[in-house]
Amino acid sequence: MDLLQGTLDMLVLRTLIFGPLHGYGIARAIHGNSNEALAIEFGSLYPALKRLEMKGWITSKWDTSELNRRAKFYRLTAAGRKHLTQEHSKWAEFVEAVTSVMGPVPVK
Amino acid sequence: MNWQKLKYLLPSVRRERERDMREELDALRSLAEPGELGNLTLAAEDARAVWGWTWLTSLAADIRYGFRTLLREPGFLAAAVLTLALGVGANTTIFSVINATILKPLPFPDSDRLVLLWKTFGKGPGNEQIISAPDFWDLKSQTHSFEGVAIFDSSGRGYNLSARGTEPEQVSGLRVSAGFFSVLGAKPMLGRSFLTEEELPGRDHEVILSYGLWERRYGGDKGIVGRTIQVDGEPFTVVGVMPREFAWRFWSGPRQLWVPVGYTKTDYGRGNNSFVSFGRLKPGVTVAQARLEMAAFGSRLAKQYPADDAGAGGTAESLAGYGLEGARSMVFTLLAAVGFVLLIACVNVANLMLARGASRQKEIAIRRALGASGWRIARQLLTESVLLAVLGGAAGVLLATWSSSLLFHLLGPDTQLPMRQVNSIPIDGHVLTFASIVSCLTGVLFGLAPVISALRTGVNEPLKEGGRDSTEGGRSRLRYALVASEVALALIVLSGAGLMIKSASRLMGVDPGLNPDNVLTMQMSVPQEAIYTGPPGLPLFCRDLAEHVGAIPGVVAVSAVAHLPFEGNAGRGFQIEGRPPATPENMPGANYSVACPGYFRSMQIPVLKGREFNEQDTLESPGVIVINEAMARKFWPKENPVGKAIRFGGSDGPRLTIIGVAGDARFQGLDTPVPSQFMRPYTQSGWPYMNIVVRTKFAPSTFIAPIKKAFREFLPDRAISDTELMTDILRDSMASRRVPMLLLSAFSVVALLLAAMGIMGVVSHSVTQRKQEIGIRMALGARGADVLGLVLVGSMKWVLAGLAAGIAGSIGIGFLMEALLYGVRPTDPMVLGTVSALLAAVALLASYVPARRAANLDPIRTLRHE
Repeated sequence: MDLLQGTLDMLVLRTLIFGPLHGYGIARAIHGNSNEALAIEFGSLYPALKRLEMKGWITSKWDTSELNRRAKFYRLTAAGRKHLTQEHSKWAEFVEAVTSVMGPVPVK
Repeated sequence: MNWQKLKYLLPSVRRERERDMREELDALRSLAEPGELGNLTLAAEDARAVWGWTWLTSLAADIRYGFRTLLREPGFLAAAVLTLALGVGANTTIFSVINATILKPLPFPDSDRLVLLWKTFGKGPGNEQIISAPDFWDLKSQTHSFEGVAIFDSSGRGYNLSARGTEPEQVSGLRVSAGFFSVLGAKPMLGRSFLTEEELPGRDHEVILSYGLWERRYGGDKGIVGRTIQVDGEPFTVVGVMPREFAWRFWSGPRQLWVPVGYTKTDYGRGNNSFVSFGRLKPGVTVAQARLEMAAFGSRLAKQYPADDAGAGGTAESLAGYGLEGARSMVFTLLAAVGFVLLIACVNVANLMLARGASRQKEIAIRRALGASGWRIARQLLTESVLLAVLGGAAGVLLATWSSSLLFHLLGPDTQLPMRQVNSIPIDGHVLTFASIVSCLTGVLFGLAPVISALRTGVNEPLKEGGRDSTEGGRSRLRYALVASEVALALIVLSGAGLMIKSASRLMGVDPGLNPDNVLTMQMSVPQEAIYTGPPGLPLFCRDLAEHVGAIPGVVAVSAVAHLPFEGNAGRGFQIEGRPPATPENMPGANYSVACPGYFRSMQIPVLKGREFNEQDTLESPGVIVINEAMARKFWPKENPVGKAIRFGGSDGPRLTIIGVAGDARFQGLDTPVPSQFMRPYTQSGWPYMNIVVRTKFAPSTFIAPIKKAFREFLPDRAISDTELMTDILRDSMASRRVPMLLLSAFSVVALLLAAMGIMGVVSHSVTQRKQEIGIRMALGARGADVLGLVLVGSMKWVLAGLAAGIAGSIGIGFLMEALLYGVRPTDPMVLGTVSALLAAVALLASYVPARRAANLDPIRTLRHE
């Protein structure tokens, strides 16, 4: 399933709400939370992380992982949280609008 | 703009970030399944783009690479930079002069709100007239567009400064109204400006000094304000000193002192138009609104005072733009000429780049084979060209710093425009901006040639081992087409110079109607009660002059005149006696001046009928005038005017009898037909300043000291100034043409040289390319002469095409510079033919040198080399 433009950023921010994760963890979380429907290419996810970090919506810090391995963990910032709220309501409006246009699947 | 990103301009920050990213990716790789994360190199590349300045780093790489490529070919680099330096240098020089003169703002605050106010008679430009003092008083009270208005004497005069124990000296001064300085917004450096009550006689014995006069004559004395000095033999109080920047130049050289207008009896005449007026617009009022108000004011004058102002209107114009109209035509011509020189330089560099493009084809083909896009190749080649242009531009600016000061000295006083003090021609921010823009545009322009040629070439051809270049023919045509265009451009510059030179020689061939050789002139002030019309201030001036100066051995004739030829004149209306009186708007008029007896003899202007003035024409004898032929032809076409009379200034003016008709001597300019003119004798009508005219047997300059000594005998406290040779005055009257002529000639030499270099380069390159072909031809029996002919014909057919295009262009440009021409049409076949022949000869010579080399080729060696 392809992602709509800008949606990836929103998904990353949403995933980080539950706490800091490293890059691979984020990819797995999105994959798992979408009932395995969204397989995120790491090649797109990684630049997205850098972009979000540059915008100040997430920060990163070296830490130790569950398996006692060092990794870089990303955490949501206050600005990121605010942005996510805005994006979320925009997204909800968008879904509602699309749903009202589409309606129930027409029966022949 | 994300300010965060700026810190990534620092390489150390970028390196740190890079290391961190590599670590992070390595860590993730060990966490994930092998291959699960996909192409990590690509992910890193995309991530780098988030913070990296990709375009900047690749630009930096291009620049570094460009530098290395250029340095590998020092010969090419030197040739291209020198050529560009010539082109950019010439443009920068001309622009720096324009920047320091025409573009220089007036040295007054909010100078765009200053406007000149004129009366007009008739529609259109050139009908602006100065106003009278009563007009000024009405203007002041009846208009609402202005914060303030002021006037100054349109002609000004020399003022005699004398003091016990020092040499008397005459300096140029001006009568001004009280608001003169405050309306301009110019504040005195010391003291104050004039007060309104000082405009009236009695209170007007006050003077403001220029910085130069204050420094030179009064030793920069800070306590001078309040002191009394002798001006024209009367005590004047110094009330102020103007700062150095205040250089007032308007229809004259810089003024050195200012006195209150001190309205005289003459000034009260409504028709005595002798003042220039100007005003400062109220904030928000436009020049157009002021023009409307002035038009209404003028027509009110016409209704109220039909005797003096019938048919009058009014207008206003920006003070800042005044006096620059004449300079524009010259500036346009010069800019066009240097622009063409720059284009020729561009063509030469483009040719150089094409010639070396052949050797770079392999490199470009490899890059393209490896996946570089056409755009990327173009960008790299253009970076190189612009780099070259910037180097050439920098060298050009260096050249301009030197040549602009040279030009400044060459131009001398011609750079002095009204009210602007030009002391130097700086290479300032404006000039540097101009030079940078011109350089970069140049780089893109000549850089297009190698780009086009590189993109047209396929990837495969150049890579074939030893493959012969099949596109060489096409590139060679492109190069010869560039030669044709540079011949055309050079021809335009050359013919512009040719037209100017022919104009100048035509002008020098004009008979001035007087003999300027061995004539010395000097000015002195001769103050008098009623300026212009009253009895002479020094009744015995002419006689004393003849007696004392005439007695100097070697002096052939001596006289004096109010207006020297080519240095301004007065005008006056009159009624012709015995004819029905003309209405004020149809009143005949002519230029007039005042002279001592012997003037026509001194200048060697022939008196064709009647006689000239003599000692018997005095205040007691009837008023007389001598008219010129133009006036005789215009007003008495079928009669002998001698013995006829006019009423000077109108029906109730003094009656003046014509006693002689003199030949037409040019006095407005050699290029202007002689207008009607009449002369009155000084012995009957005074003038506030006179120019002494002395004809000597030999070397007139050696007579300056004896003449000054003779003056001290009869006028001990009077100074004479502005010593000039009549030949210099005549030459200066042509200055407006001399400067563009000199510059155009210089530019055409540069254009010719560049064109010759370009042709030689292209022909010689093409000979090298065709070595094998020529070798085969010679092996098959072609002789040296055949090869010579082959090469020459190949090049000259393009040169001829260029000449044809150039002639068409020259004619077009010629019409645009017609204002600068005299006695020659832009289509002048002599000029066009001469410059075409010259250019063709130079082109032939430039082709001949490499063609000779081709003819001397040894076919055996050429073919063995293959």
